[in-house]
Amino acid sequence: MLRRTLLLGLCRGPLGRGLGTHRGGSILDRDGKMSEIKKKIQSILPGGDWNPLYDTSHLPPESSDVVIVGGGVLGLSVAYWLKKLEKPRGAIRVLVVERDHTYSRASTVLSVGGIRQQFSVPENVQLSLFSIDFLRNINEYLAVADDPPLDIQFNPSGYLLLASEKGAAIMENNVKEGAKVCLMSPEQLRNKFPWINTEGVALASYGMEHEGWFDPWCLLQGLRRKVQSMGVLFCRGEVTRFMSSSNLMKTASGEEVNLKRIHEVHVKIDQSLEYQPVECAIVINAAGAWSGQVAELAGIGKGPPGTLQGTKLPVELRKRYVYLWHCPQGPGLETPFVIDPSGTYFRREGLGHNYLGGCSPTEEEEPDPGNLEVDHDFFQDRVWPPLAQRVPAFETLKVRSAWAGYYDYNTFDQNGVVGPHPLVINMYFATGFSGHGLQQAPAVGRAVAEMVLEGHFQTINLSSFLFSRFYSGEKVQEHNII
Amino acid sequence: MLKIIVPTAMLMPMTWLSKPNMIWINSTTYSLLISLISLSYLNQLGDNSLNLSLLFFSDSLSAPLLVLTTWLLPLMLMASQSHLSKETLSRKKLYITMLIILQLLLIMTFTATELIMFYILFEATLIPTLIIITRWGNQTERLNAGLYFLFYTLMGSLPLLVALLYIQNTTGTLNFLVIQYWAKPISATWSNIFLWLACMMAFMVKMPLYGLHLWLPKAHVEAPIAGSMVLAAVLLKLGGYGMMRITILLNPATNQMAYPFMMLSLWGMVMTSSICLRQTDLKSLIAYSSVSHMALVIVAVLIQTPWSYMGATALMIAHGLTSSMLFCLANSNYERVHSRTMILARGLQTILPLMAAWWLLASLANLALPPTINLIGELFVVVASFSWSNMTIVLMGTNIIITALYTLYMLTTTQRGKYTHHIKNINPSFTRENALMALHLLPLLLLSLNPKIVLG
Repeated sequence: MLRRTLLLGLCRGPLGRGLGTHRGGSILDRDGKMSEIKKKIQSILPGGDWNPLYDTSHLPPESSDVVIVGGGVLGLSVAYWLKKLEKPRGAIRVLVVERDHTYSRASTVLSVGGIRQQFSVPENVQLSLFSIDFLRNINEYLAVADDPPLDIQFNPSGYLLLASEKGAAIMENNVKEGAKVCLMSPEQLRNKFPWINTEGVALASYGMEHEGWFDPWCLLQGLRRKVQSMGVLFCRGEVTRFMSSSNLMKTASGEEVNLKRIHEVHVKIDQSLEYQPVECAIVINAAGAWSGQVAELAGIGKGPPGTLQGTKLPVELRKRYVYLWHCPQGPGLETPFVIDPSGTYFRREGLGHNYLGGCSPTEEEEPDPGNLEVDHDFFQDRVWPPLAQRVPAFETLKVRSAWAGYYDYNTFDQNGVVGPHPLVINMYFATGFSGHGLQQAPAVGRAVAEMVLEGHFQTINLSSFLFSRFYSGEKVQEHNII
Repeated sequence: MLKIIVPTAMLMPMTWLSKPNMIWINSTTYSLLISLISLSYLNQLGDNSLNLSLLFFSDSLSAPLLVLTTWLLPLMLMASQSHLSKETLSRKKLYITMLIILQLLLIMTFTATELIMFYILFEATLIPTLIIITRWGNQTERLNAGLYFLFYTLMGSLPLLVALLYIQNTTGTLNFLVIQYWAKPISATWSNIFLWLACMMAFMVKMPLYGLHLWLPKAHVEAPIAGSMVLAAVLLKLGGYGMMRITILLNPATNQMAYPFMMLSLWGMVMTSSICLRQTDLKSLIAYSSVSHMALVIVAVLIQTPWSYMGATALMIAHGLTSSMLFCLANSNYERVHSRTMILARGLQTILPLMAAWWLLASLANLALPPTINLIGELFVVVASFSWSNMTIVLMGTNIIITALYTLYMLTTTQRGKYTHHIKNINPSFTRENALMALHLLPLLLLSLNPKIVLG
C-alpha cells in the first residue's frame, strides 16, 4: 500500500509529470538527473533488486539451479522441457548463457533446416519422429498468451536418398520401424521425378511422410519466447570458468575415482572484464560447436590418454558451406531433399526456382574453421559437377549467395552425446549431433530434461548416446550421414 | 542473572583474542557452558517468580525461553562453521561477535522486569539480525529481505513505544511485578481500542500474524543458517512472550478486540500450511511452517486460559527446537548440492542414512507426534480453543492434517526414491553436523519425559 502510493506519487502524480517526463524537458531536468533519481528510488523501494554498491541489472543472478551453456536450439529445448516437465511448477531456476545474442555464428540459424527419419540407428529415427510431431503441433507446445502463432513453414516434401550399387544393400537394411519410407528402383525414380538422371543409382529411398524442411530461425524464436514466458533467465555472456570440488571415492571393485562436481560457473559479460560467479547445482553443456572447449574448462579430458579421465569430449568445429542458386529450368515444387551418393545434396528453397545445397567435404579437404568465409571454388569443383550430372537442368544455374556454418562435429561417431558425464557428475551434455542436431532438438531436449529430473531416460532410451561410449569404444555408427 | 550476562558479554573479547584455529572451539565450548548455567533457572518455585535483582527476574514463562536461547548459541556456531570457512579471519570473528551480541540482547530481553527495558532490547535485537542477514546472506534478494524484516517490525513496534509511555504515565510504573497488581481493567472505548492495538501490533508482526507475515519467508530464505536458526527459534518467540506479558494489562478489552486477530490466526494457520504443500524451496517450506505453528500460539495467547498458556509455552519451546533442526538439515543439503530446490536432491536416504534418521525424527516432531512436547502444546491449544468456541475444532483438525501432509511430503521428496545422478559424490555427513542434530533433538526428546518444566 505504501509502495503503491509512493509509486503513484513518483510516476503519475502532477509533480512527476512535470519533471523529466516532458518531451522538451523542463528546466529541472536539464541534465536528465531527475529521471535517474526516479529510477534509483524505484529500484530502492521494496520489490526491486537493489545492490547498494553498484548496478547489477545486467549481470546474471548469483545463483541458479541449472545453468545451460549455449542458447541455441538444443539449449533452449532443454530449458523448455525442464520447465515443462518439472512437477511443481516454478520449482527449478534455469539460466541460459549465450555468448552471441545475434546468433550470427550459431549452427542453428545457419542450418539448411531439414528433418528426416531415414536413419540407420533406431534411436535417431525415434528422435526425429518425436521432433516432427513437436514441429507439426508447435503451436500447442510453444503457445504464449497474446502472441501470434508460429509458422515454421514446414515443407513436407520428403527426403530422397540415392544409393549406388555399393550402398544399396545398406540402404535396404536401413528402412526402420516407424519411418514411412518407400524404396524405388531407377525406373520408378524416373517415372516419379523425370528431371533426375538415374545413372549410377541402384536404389533410392524416398520418405513419404514426416520429412522435409522448416525454418530454424522461427523454431529458435518460438522456443526463446516460450521459454522466457516460463521464467527462464537469459544472460548474454561467456562461461569462462567452472569452480568445482572433487571427492575421492572408491568404486565397488575398489579402485579410486575422483568425482568432481561443479558448484560455481563464472560468466563473463561481453566486452567487459566483469564476471559473475553463478552458484549452480547442474550444468548443461549445449554449446554446439564449441562444446569441446566448454568441456575442457570443466576438466574433462585432463588425464592420461586411454583412461576415463583422459577421454575428451570429441566435439569440434567443422565448417560447412551452403550455396543458394537460381535455376529457372530446375525441378518443380515436388522436389524432395535430394542426397546424391557422392554426398552432394540440394533442396528447393521458396517458390522462385531457388535451390539450396552443398556437400560435405572429405577429411582431407576440411576447410579451416577459423572464420565463416565461403570458398566459392569449392562449389565449382566439388558441388556443381555431381549436381549437374544428377540433375541435368542444373547445368545452367546462377549462384545467388552462399554462407558457411559450423557443425558440432563428433569426431568419434558423428552422433550426439546426451546425458551426464561419469566423472564430472553434474555436467550433462546435449551436443555433438554433427549436422542433425536441429532436427532432433525437441526430442533430445526432452531426454536430457528427463535425465535431470528423473534420473533415467523415460520416453526414448538414449543410453547408447552416453559419454561413456567414448571410453569404452562402442561407436554408434550412422550409415546415412550427410 | 549477572552470572549469565557477564560471561556472554565476555565471549566477545574471547573471540577476538583467540588464536585463529581456536575461535570456533572456544566460542562453542564456552557458550555451551553458559547454557548449562542457565539450566539452573528452570528450578522455579511455584507461582511466584524468581526475582534476581531490580532489573532482572525469571519466572516459569521466561525460564524455558532463556534456556532455549542460551542453548542455541553453541548450535548456531556449530552450524555456521562450514559456510564461513572461506571468509577472512576478522570477518569470522565479526560474525561470531554479532551472534554473541544478539544472544546477550535476547537474554536480557527474556529476563527484563521493566517493560521499557524489554522494549528497548526487543528493538535492539533487530540490529544484529539485520546485519547477519544482509551481510552474510546468500543471494541479492537478501537486501530486500532485510528491508522487509526491519521495516515490518519497526512499523509495528513504534506504536508500542507510545503505548508503553502512556501506561507509564497513567499507572506510574512499568515494572512487571508491580503492574500485575496495579493494572486497571480497561473497557473497549475507542481510545482503549487504540491502546490495545498499539500494544499488540508489534508482537503480532513479530509472531507473525498471517496478514503481516510477508517478511518471514524472505528473511528465512535469504538468511545464512545461523540467522535462520535464531530467527525461527527465538525471535519469533519474543513476540509470543511479549504478548503473554502485555495481555495482563489489557483486560478485559481483549475479549472484544481479540476477534479479528483470532480469525486471522485461525484462517492463516490453514492457509500457510496449504502454501507449504506447494513450496519448491526447502527453506521456504520450513519458513511457512513456522508461520503456521506460530498462528497456533497467537490463538492460544488471545484465549487467555491457563491451559492455553501452558500449550503456548510448550509449543514455543518445541517449535523452536524443531524448526531450528529442520533449518540445519536443509542447510546441510544446501551446502552439498548448492541448491535449495527440493526436487533436485532426492533419494538422500541411500546416500546419507544417518542424516535420513535425523530427517525422520525432525519431521515426526514437526507433525506433532506423541509423546513429544509438540503434541502436548498443540493438544492444549486445540482443547482450549474448542472450549472457547466449538467451531474452531474444524480448522484445527484441518491444520493438523495438512501439517502432517507437508511434513511427510518434504520427508519423502528429499529422502525417498531413487537418488539423482548429480548428487552421487556429496560429502558424507560430518560429525559436527551429526552432533548438531543430536543436540537439537536431545532436549526435545528429554522434555517429553518431563514436560512440566516447559508448561509454564
